[in-house]
Amino acid sequence: MSDKKRSFKKSRIYVILFALVTALVFSVLITSAATMLKGRQLENMALDKKTNLLEAAGLVPEDKKPLPEDIKQIYDAHIREVHVDPRGRIVETPAGNSLQLYLIHTGQKVEGYIVPISTRGLWGKIHGYLAFEEDGETVAGFSVYSHSETPGLGGEIESNWFQDNFKGKKILNASNQLVSVGIAKGKVENLPEKLQDHYVDGISGATLTGRYLSEGLEETLTKYESVSVIFRQKKGSQTHLETILDE
Amino acid sequence: MHTDLSHYKEILIKGVWRENPVAYQVLGICSALAVTVKMSTALVMSIALTLVAAFSGLIISSLRNWIPSNIRIIVELTVIASLVIITDQILKAFLYDISKQLSIFVGLIITNCIILGRAEAFAMANNPADSFVDGIANGLGYSMILVAVAFLRELLGSGQFFGFSVIPQFLYDMGFQDMGIMVLAPGAFFIIGLLVWLKNSLPGVSHEKK
Repeated sequence: MSDKKRSFKKSRIYVILFALVTALVFSVLITSAATMLKGRQLENMALDKKTNLLEAAGLVPEDKKPLPEDIKQIYDAHIREVHVDPRGRIVETPAGNSLQLYLIHTGQKVEGYIVPISTRGLWGKIHGYLAFEEDGETVAGFSVYSHSETPGLGGEIESNWFQDNFKGKKILNASNQLVSVGIAKGKVENLPEKLQDHYVDGISGATLTGRYLSEGLEETLTKYESVSVIFRQKKGSQTHLETILDE
Repeated sequence: MHTDLSHYKEILIKGVWRENPVAYQVLGICSALAVTVKMSTALVMSIALTLVAAFSGLIISSLRNWIPSNIRIIVELTVIASLVIITDQILKAFLYDISKQLSIFVGLIITNCIILGRAEAFAMANNPADSFVDGIANGLGYSMILVAVAFLRELLGSGQFFGFSVIPQFLYDMGFQDMGIMVLAPGAFFIIGLLVWLKNSLPGVSHEKK
């Protein structure tokens, strides 16, 4: 009997059966863990997106993490999510060609807008936000909430020193044409002076991440140019929350 | 009972100190370089690795008489990978910010040589309780080095301890500067190298004289 048992344990059938049972047991374990924790994870991700949005808008400090309740409260008080059509006008129901946009406001006064960035990176998608001041050309802030770049190299796009460089950059050149904001190769101070306003310091060892991000920013800003134009035209005059992007 | 306890103590001392996975076996260096810029990430990584090492030891050792030897590495990796994925999921649910900072390094516990090394060298040949203790011991040994490196790197590199500034302002006023290199990977290399040297030059632990 024990001989038979031993020979069964050496047979191929046993190996295959063992592998199958192991695979089954552990996949059930992983699946149940993932399913049970999914709600909390999604909540964390949503909160993280809001935090990043507020960081881009400069409404929360980057180095200190506010409490989740504070984030929700600031978000509700200062951010309004809208959809605009390709001409930059607000639409009630998002259609296939409408663009997502966030308005920054205090009370009824619009203080700027935030464009969601979603672009190709070296290893995967880069998701983030680019905030503008109400003049429609000055960058107010930049943040990244999800990426799969190499930690320490391309992953530096989520560090404060990199994101801080975006503040105050202009997306228009001297002749009022859209030039977007690019990631320089190396330091901005080595570029010709007339380009310095449109570039941020690059990350050494992450040339490709920088190139893809530059391309993505330009592409996104071209799509949102109609919105920026409206902000530029209304500069200083009428920035009422309910009417700014109406006909 | 007494012999039992001293037996576990023996395993613990061996894992934590005498055959410390980082300082003696020089395993797990990759993550030791990557997550030691700050104490908080190093500590969470240490806890995650210790738990995975302990429970993979326990599970693999319980299965050791049933695991067919020709697919044993695959089975060991299945156990380890599952535990790591579950750990990662838990971190994402409860410690989201830290899990974001650790990024791929939690996932890379799967390929951490300490875990597979202990599974293959210890858990396959010893009983579940011993293997569990051995996992804890090696996890603690790894944690000890990791936390020591992170302590020095955070203190010298950013002047902080767990995110709080500890270097008094007057020292900065007198011209003290944070050592930028400590924040970068070479800083970790220097510190790990120095720690290994220090450990192996202490009396009674030199392996060359054995």
